[in-house]
Amino acid sequence: MSRLKELYLYRQMLSSLVLTDLRTRYKGSVLGFLWTFLNPLLMLIVYTFVFSNILRANIENYPMFLFVAILPWIFFQSSVQNSINIIIRNGNMVKKIYFPREVLPISAVAGGAVNYLFGLMILIPALLIFGISIKATILLIPVILLIQSLLTLGISFAVAALNVYFRDVEHIVSFMLQLGFYVTPIIFPVNLFPEKFQPFFKLNPLTGIMEAYRDVMIYGKIPEMSFFVIHGMLGFIVLIIGWVIFYSLQKNFADEL
Amino acid sequence: MGVIELNDVTKKYIVHKDKRVTLKEKVLFGFRSAKEEYVALDGVSINIEPGLTVGIVGRNGSGKSTMLKLISRIIYPTSGSVKVRGKVSSLLELGAGFHPDFTGRENIYMNASILGFSKKEIDRMLDKIIEFSELEAFIDNPLRSYSSGMYMRLAFSVAISVDPDILLIDEILAVGDVSFQKKCINRLKELKRNKKTIVIVSHDNLTLEQLCDQIIWLKDGKVHKTGPAKEVINDYIDFMSKAEGRKHDLKQRVQQNADASEKQGQAQKPEPENPKPGNRWGNEKIKIVDVRICGRDMAERYSFNSGESVIFKIAYEMVEKTEDVVFGFRITTHDGINCYGSNTYLDQVSFGELPMSGTVCCKIDRLDLVEGNYLLDFAIVQMDGTAYDYYCGGYSIQVMSKTRDTGIAKLPHAWFVEKNGT
Repeated sequence: MSRLKELYLYRQMLSSLVLTDLRTRYKGSVLGFLWTFLNPLLMLIVYTFVFSNILRANIENYPMFLFVAILPWIFFQSSVQNSINIIIRNGNMVKKIYFPREVLPISAVAGGAVNYLFGLMILIPALLIFGISIKATILLIPVILLIQSLLTLGISFAVAALNVYFRDVEHIVSFMLQLGFYVTPIIFPVNLFPEKFQPFFKLNPLTGIMEAYRDVMIYGKIPEMSFFVIHGMLGFIVLIIGWVIFYSLQKNFADEL
Repeated sequence: MGVIELNDVTKKYIVHKDKRVTLKEKVLFGFRSAKEEYVALDGVSINIEPGLTVGIVGRNGSGKSTMLKLISRIIYPTSGSVKVRGKVSSLLELGAGFHPDFTGRENIYMNASILGFSKKEIDRMLDKIIEFSELEAFIDNPLRSYSSGMYMRLAFSVAISVDPDILLIDEILAVGDVSFQKKCINRLKELKRNKKTIVIVSHDNLTLEQLCDQIIWLKDGKVHKTGPAKEVINDYIDFMSKAEGRKHDLKQRVQQNADASEKQGQAQKPEPENPKPGNRWGNEKIKIVDVRICGRDMAERYSFNSGESVIFKIAYEMVEKTEDVVFGFRITTHDGINCYGSNTYLDQVSFGELPMSGTVCCKIDRLDLVEGNYLLDFAIVQMDGTAYDYYCGGYSIQVMSKTRDTGIAKLPHAWFVEKNGT
């Protein structure tokens, strides 16, 4: 609890880190910050072209089907990937200055979330252009995003801390992320997979989250209550486990680096 | 009750001979890789009262920085406990999080936020920080356009403007020009007046003596001595001058021997136009075989306090007997400024007929030089200046001083107020 209070004291550091990251990510490019919007926009154009001219999927409005899920996936993937090395990258600071080390992975996840929000600014107009009527259900996006963030942060804490001790974690995690892309219903819906594998997909917490995003954005449905309860609790548990791992390992960060 | 309490704190570092960081290596070779323990702090207990300024002295590797890191919670003790009450600001690293593309102002926010300050608090401190740094004209330029001096000034201004209960400082007082340094010292004195607890690690003994109430002297990871600043600092300087002397001596002997044998071949060469330290020339009809530099007690050493007596013992060997012999010495600074030199001819000293080998001594009653390192030349020459053996800068001595006067020579002086009518 006192740890949370301390983290709150360092909120300015968190926002500085996120802002620095956003501002420097496209450093030296002519368009600069615009790339934050251009990236999802270009991706959208490519998918639209590919899936309406080359590969015809049997799913209605496939580019949107894909786009709605791929943005949160990018949020998840980039947050975890940025977190893996974040302690080592900031080793100099970790070795010389005291601050709650949690700030670093939190900044990676917060940065990913902010980028997702920018992506929404492209996504929502795109939904309209593709003739999907937006319902009030999109107001639930923040709730789903919160659940996803809990989960993402928990995993980020764990990989960030473990990678300080075993640098293999980095490679294992990038493989897992590649695999994760295919075992999460991003490019296909769950029901496209063989019946016998479907329960395994359900075990993947991201499956429910992706479906929830589609429900509120494309189908105008409110996800079942059980989704919020189960995934909310799951996200919370993952966060606590990740944090405990991080907290117990962080004492020796400065010695290990 | 102290604001900083260390109870029987031990910190061991594990030095991996070959660090295994991958899982494969850890599995294959087990977690018991070739490692050595290094004890940085060994059962240290200290208690720092609120409002005191405490200095930590000790040689490199004595555990000073480890202690500061423990207090600031960057690292944790292997055993024992560290208790700190109050908001700690540790200035172990200047300019943390500085980004070259951002302006000075933005970097102040970044840097101060890493020290744990909120936007509001920084807003309040901002003007003070900018004023302190004297960078008003550049504050909205990107940091990469700053000179390294400006960079350090900005970093230090942020660090010193913060207002914590406990301030930890590691060896960062030597920033910027003399006037900026003075400002920093004044700011520390101000914090001190405001009853902040300050812990400083520094090699600058004089500043520590001025600033601190208490000094903790660490030696090999243990508290060697602790007490009032002046007392401990004086003991420490004495100790250091002895230790330095020994070390100096050993190094210098080896170097001298190597030099002598190396220079033998070119000993016949005429005197070079610009003699460099380490050069040796002459016709070797008389040779310097050894020089010993001793204190009043005739014990050889190479480190002296200013004002002490020094004796040079020059051992020589003659190839053919001659009375045309002048012994000389010269003291120069490392940048080649001649401090003092003389010889037996100038001093009108004659030894008459000297034995074929022997030792000629020269005693300096008071070595009134300011603190610093000095090079020594020794020479045996003919009356007309032709060198038998001239060894330039072959030896060096260290002079230490408890005062901080400047220049080369200490001129005896006194201050007084002029009285009316006298």
